[in-house]
Amino acid sequence: MGVGGMWGSDLIAQRPEFFQIMKSPFSDEEVVTVKALQPDWAIIHVQEADQYGNARIIGSDFQDILLSRAAKKTIITTEKLIETESFRQEPKLTSIPYFLVEAVVLAPEGAKPGICYPTYNSVDASGMAAYGQAIKEGKLDDYLARVTGWEGVK
Amino acid sequence: MNYGPAEIMVTALAREIMSRDIVFHGLASPVPMTAMKLAKALGIEFTFINIAGGVDPNWGNPAVIGSTLSSNLYEGGVADYGLDEIFDLACTGRVDISMLSLVQISPRGEINMSFVGGEYDKPKVRLPGGAGSATLTPVTKKTLIWKTKQDIKSFVPEVAFCTAKADPFKQFKVITNLCTFVMENGLLVLESIHPYSNLAEVQANTGWEITQTDLPLTLAPSEEELALIEKVDPNRIRYIEF
Repeated sequence: MGVGGMWGSDLIAQRPEFFQIMKSPFSDEEVVTVKALQPDWAIIHVQEADQYGNARIIGSDFQDILLSRAAKKTIITTEKLIETESFRQEPKLTSIPYFLVEAVVLAPEGAKPGICYPTYNSVDASGMAAYGQAIKEGKLDDYLARVTGWEGVK
Repeated sequence: MNYGPAEIMVTALAREIMSRDIVFHGLASPVPMTAMKLAKALGIEFTFINIAGGVDPNWGNPAVIGSTLSSNLYEGGVADYGLDEIFDLACTGRVDISMLSLVQISPRGEINMSFVGGEYDKPKVRLPGGAGSATLTPVTKKTLIWKTKQDIKSFVPEVAFCTAKADPFKQFKVITNLCTFVMENGLLVLESIHPYSNLAEVQANTGWEITQTDLPLTLAPSEEELALIEKVDPNRIRYIEF
C-alpha cells in the first residue's frame, strides 16, 4: 500500500522486499509503497475478554488492534474473563472480535513486569532487569517458574 | 543561574508551539513531554497528541516515570487517537510539529536511527529504526529534534545510515544541551547558543565546521516558565536523560 513518509530514507534501497517506489495510478506522482506485514501470530494482553475471544482493551491500545487485524492468528491473554452479554451491551468498546481470535488464556497480571492499565500502572524495573538477565543467560524457564509458579513443560 | 540544559531545552521546545498547532511526541520523551505540558500551562491552545493515544491528557497530572508506557499521557484526555491514526494524520499534512530524537545527524539533516558500527544486517549496535523519524519527518510541517547530549559522535559529517532526511522545504530545528540549529537551504546552521555555553564548546562538539561567528544567545527561561516547569514536572522526570 502507499504511504506518505519515507522520502529520503536509505531504508527504501536497503529493504526492496518491503519498500518500492511506484508511479501513482491516479496521477503522475510517485508514491512510496510498503509491503503489508502479516505475522503468523499476535499475542495480545487485554483487560477483559469472554471465552469466545471478544476482547476489550481499556486505556492505551498502541498497535494492538492493528496487530490483531494483520496477524494470521491471534491469542488473547486476559486479566479477567467476563460474560459475552457485557460485549453485547457495549459493542463499540470491543477492541478485537472473537472471529479473529484463536485462543483465550486467563492470565491475571500477565503483562508484568510491564504494565496493564489501570490495575498495575508502572513498569517493574527490577522485574524487567531480571527478565532481561534470564534471556541473556538462556534461563527463561527458571525465570518463568519463579514469577508464575509454572513447573515447566511436562 | 537557576536553570540548566533540561530547562532551556524544555523552554526552547515549548516556544516553538503556536496556538492551534497539532503537536506530537513519541516514546520515552521526557523533555518533549515536559515542553508540551509547559506550553499548556502557559495557556497556549494547541492539541497535544502522543504515542499513548491520549488527546490533550491532563497536563496538570505529574509524570512519575520517563517512559511513555504509563497512563500519564492518556488520562484526562478527550479522545483516544492511536499511533496508526496519528501517522495517517501526518501523511495528510495535518501534524504541525513532531518532536523526535536521534542517534546521529549530518549537516544536511540526515538522521541515523538504524545502526552504528558494522553493516545494516550485522550491526555493532542496532538502533530503534525508522518508525517515527522516517515516516513522520517528510510529512510533518515542522520537525523538532531534541538531543540531550551533543557531541562529535552524534553530530557527524556523514551518517552511517540515513534512516530519515529532513525535507528542505519544511521547517526543521535541532535543539541540544548546548545550542539550537535550524535548517536553511538544506543545511543546518546555528541559530543560537545557550547562555552557559559558547561557540568554542559548540564547535568542539559538532563534527562539521561552523562558519558563523556572530551568534545570539538562546533566550533564557523566564521566572514564570521556570516556575511552571517545576509545577508540571515536580518529580523532575525531565532530568532522566541528562
